[in-house]
Amino acid sequence: MKFVTWENVGVDRIGCAWLIRRFVNKKAEFVFIPEGSTTIPPGAEPFDIPGVKLSHHHGHCSFHALLREYKLMDDLVLKRIARIIDEADTVQEASLEEAAPGLDMICSGIRLASPNDDAALERGAMVYDALYAALKQEAA
Amino acid sequence: MRTWMLLVYNVPNKPTSSRLFVWRKLKKLGALLLHDAVWALPATPHTREQLRWLASEIAELNGEATVWEAKQALATDEEKLIARFAAAVVDSYRKLLAELKRKHPDLAAISRRYQQVRAQDYFNSQLGQRVREALLAAKGVSP
Repeated sequence: MKFVTWENVGVDRIGCAWLIRRFVNKKAEFVFIPEGSTTIPPGAEPFDIPGVKLSHHHGHCSFHALLREYKLMDDLVLKRIARIIDEADTVQEASLEEAAPGLDMICSGIRLASPNDDAALERGAMVYDALYAALKQEAA
Repeated sequence: MRTWMLLVYNVPNKPTSSRLFVWRKLKKLGALLLHDAVWALPATPHTREQLRWLASEIAELNGEATVWEAKQALATDEEKLIARFAAAVVDSYRKLLAELKRKHPDLAAISRRYQQVRAQDYFNSQLGQRVREALLAAKGVSP
């Protein structure tokens, strides 16, 4: 499975890639195209690019679109992460998730501190593993 | 000269919720409406990304939107626009400072509002720094 998104990943795309690799396809491959580009390489599923199916819809982040697409909405911890990313990455009226601004900043920093997008996705996955574990414990 | 993000859009009159959706997002970002025609924000990675998404959401609402990156041709115009952005946060900061001077200020509520104003303070107003310091100094005083 091949996915494509814009380079310079941030909170939503790092979360999406983590979700795909953990819950959809362990061997998923990610390719990056320049920011602003809408030329999708053949055979790759685009995500978090304005206008494509797996992106922001109705005020929700792309992570949310992926949960719908891959029928993962029953996992309440993932749903909670979707809400956190909604608040971190989109303009929301209500702020309910204290983790949101911190997660946003940490993910921006992970990209800045990483040599490339692949490395950022890998490092960021650790952050999402940690978030998932913490939220799961909270829900228990 | 700085780069500014501009958004030009229209959405159908009905349902009114669509117009409100877009307007609220622009307000929350702290965008300013220029000459009843164009919404402007200073260009940052955040505003660029948010306006791109907003434009795609406007398209989903059966509207039309274009996002521009622009530079002003006159320095005086640019200063005026910066001043407008600065003025937009000054009032909110002043209110917070006034509340902090009261007896037993609600620090939790004030700091939440401080963060909201801070997110729209694109030119790092000194008043914002004063509110931050006042909040830190007031720590522990609240009942």
